[in-house]
Amino acid sequence: MKRFILSLLCLVGTVPVSAEAQWSTTHEQFYLPGSFNWQFRKNYPGADRLFNAFDYGHAILYERLWNNPNAAVSELEQKEFNFITSRLLVNPPDLPLEESAIEIAYVKIAPEAKMMFEWAHLLHRQIYDVLADERLSPAQKDAKVYELIRYYKTRNDLAFSSVPKSMDLMEGQPYSTAFRKRYPKFNGLIWAYHWLQIGLYEPLLAGKSKEERQTGVAATVTRFRQMIEQAPTWMPRVMPMTPAVAPLFTARYPEAAIIFDNLHSMHDVISDILANPSVSRDQKRSEILKAGQRYRDNTSFVVKADEWREMATMMGVENMGGPVRGFLPAFPKPTVERGATMQSAMAGMNNMAGMQHGTAPAAAPQPSMPGMDHSTMPVATGSTGTMNHSSMPGMTGGSSSDMAALHARMMADTVIRARVDSDPVLRDLLHKAMAASSTTAAHSHAAPTVKRTTAAKKPAVKTSAKTSTARKTTSSKTPAPKKTTATATAKPKPKPKVDPMAGMDHSKMNMTPKK
Amino acid sequence: MTSSSSDKRVSRFTRQSARIVGCSTFAFLMAATAAHAQTDFYNTDAGRPLTIEDASATERYAFELQLAPLRLERGRGGVYSWGVEPELAYGILPRTQLEIGAPLAYVDASGSSKRFGLAGLDVSLLHNLNVETAIPALAIAGDVLLPVGRFAPDAPVFSAKGIATRTLRWARFHINGQYSFGDADDETASSNVTELGHGAELSRWLAGISVDRTFPLKSTLIGAEVFARKPLNTGGKTAWNAAVGIRKQLSPTFNIDAGVGKQLSGDDRSWFATFGLAHAFAVRSLLPGG
Repeated sequence: MKRFILSLLCLVGTVPVSAEAQWSTTHEQFYLPGSFNWQFRKNYPGADRLFNAFDYGHAILYERLWNNPNAAVSELEQKEFNFITSRLLVNPPDLPLEESAIEIAYVKIAPEAKMMFEWAHLLHRQIYDVLADERLSPAQKDAKVYELIRYYKTRNDLAFSSVPKSMDLMEGQPYSTAFRKRYPKFNGLIWAYHWLQIGLYEPLLAGKSKEERQTGVAATVTRFRQMIEQAPTWMPRVMPMTPAVAPLFTARYPEAAIIFDNLHSMHDVISDILANPSVSRDQKRSEILKAGQRYRDNTSFVVKADEWREMATMMGVENMGGPVRGFLPAFPKPTVERGATMQSAMAGMNNMAGMQHGTAPAAAPQPSMPGMDHSTMPVATGSTGTMNHSSMPGMTGGSSSDMAALHARMMADTVIRARVDSDPVLRDLLHKAMAASSTTAAHSHAAPTVKRTTAAKKPAVKTSAKTSTARKTTSSKTPAPKKTTATATAKPKPKPKVDPMAGMDHSKMNMTPKK
Repeated sequence: MTSSSSDKRVSRFTRQSARIVGCSTFAFLMAATAAHAQTDFYNTDAGRPLTIEDASATERYAFELQLAPLRLERGRGGVYSWGVEPELAYGILPRTQLEIGAPLAYVDASGSSKRFGLAGLDVSLLHNLNVETAIPALAIAGDVLLPVGRFAPDAPVFSAKGIATRTLRWARFHINGQYSFGDADDETASSNVTELGHGAELSRWLAGISVDRTFPLKSTLIGAEVFARKPLNTGGKTAWNAAVGIRKQLSPTFNIDAGVGKQLSGDDRSWFATFGLAHAFAVRSLLPGG
């Protein structure tokens, strides 16, 4: 039938002869019915309407990128951005939008991808409905959310994998990061959307009464509006990841959190494919479909759930727009450049002596992160004993005492210590780094004896039992402590003489357990 | 519309007819409000508000209850006539909908006796072949009008239809072509009863094009159409029709449509107006993942 119709259409010249690859049979499916339907709309109309506006932002972005690939940057960065932020988000649509009527041309090149997004957005919204339903008990809400996830996964052709994917899938492809580089403001807006979309689960989960939930949602929405003022200053600098932005939600519904991170990640991938001229127009559909397949399957670019959480923690919630709850009036100071990739953010850490992952395979600090190819991380020239400050913008200030504190704290972790002990190269590099970072008697004494003494000098801050590295945290909303107990033990340090890491504030490296 | 050849004459608009239509509308509304679902203003159906429809099917597992088309027609001499065809569509398979309609007509026989009754039972299946890409969206549909009810045809009438939809940046275009097999008795086929009850179904053939433009931020669509139809009865003249319509999402669960049109040629160059209301729902036990 399909071949017959295609032949007929080709014969009459209405479609190109090569159109067979574009024969798409994807289909829509109704959402899960239940008494919880539309509860979020009913109880949180302001936030619900904002999400309607978000639909427009995603859709118009793809449409513009596809229709006018050579248009001036200002078309998106100013004209469309201003329309969205000063008009649409101020007075959002009352109803969910029909995206096909906005991304008219884009949807024709990859309706399968559009359907994947719609299906996941439906899950997003239905979970809001469940969490916003005041008639359901927490246990009933859990049951409903799991039912929603089960239903979502019945569409193998549309459902994002609930296995986390490595950043390499989003940031390591030939077309990657094209969009964020060319359109930093609009990209920040999209990430701000994603921040709210995952973050709004938090006040719904944390609130113990309807009033608390209402207040929490209102505060989070207000925070979002602050975020898009003075754009792009306070917008996320890296893709907001659910474990960092929505730790409560992630802990309670990890599968959904993974699905949403994969969803948001693929949003970026599509933007990159469309924005990158190295992908020719006739290749864009196939690249989009390939990306969609990778985000659906459970085999390609996968990482473990713990590694996914670590990734989120390492990138830092302060770089993702900040915490959703309990935030201060001022936004937290980001520690990476706008649009930084995981790789570039890690580069600074990589350049730390003793943490040169590529040269220490036997003791790689994150051996359980196959998706992170540390060996590919750029290493600054002569970085053996010095820090490349430029690779970690925002990490200013600090002293060798901080380095000592960091070292002490890392060594307080039995797992890290065991790994360092087992790797002579790493151990030697650490010793050299510590020796170079301080000439004080206390410090120089601490370094060579660290493996023997740290057990006795265990800091008061306890690391999680399942924490495999000092970077790992279970709560990203708590700001990193400026001073640790280990810092106190590392003193005194009258004045730094030679600080090879001048300008770096280690306290903002997000490398210490926060809980 | 068609020639008024029989002694059956459609009544003038009266309070009684308004009450009947109003009551039936209300009854369906009440049935629909219990459901939780979303209807889609972007997916047009025949008669809602235009005769020419798009190639999309009701989404999988969705029921869509349609109260359309409620049709008011003003014929020659200022005679008003009414018809309504409640329908229930179900997304029975991917890109496939099964639809059952029960056209009702209100007629004034012999100028004095007013009658209200079923004008057949309409069962149709529409299958969307593909989603639009570089290739237009295509669909095929089969329809049978069963001889059920006092105003129904004497024998089943089968129809086949082809649909194509092409979307441009500024508008969507839909092309429909339909052919009906079998014969209906001339009296029934040519009467206003069939017009009111079945709209396009009882044409020997019908072909037309419609264009619509969407205002997505308003969840609104406006459209216009022109189509030609040949009546099923022998000797009927081909009639050209034109209409405009609007379809709007009222809430996530309701949408409405309205349209006006005129028969431009043929025996009865009447004006007509349509109004529709749709509501959709799903039945949990029919969905997977339970």
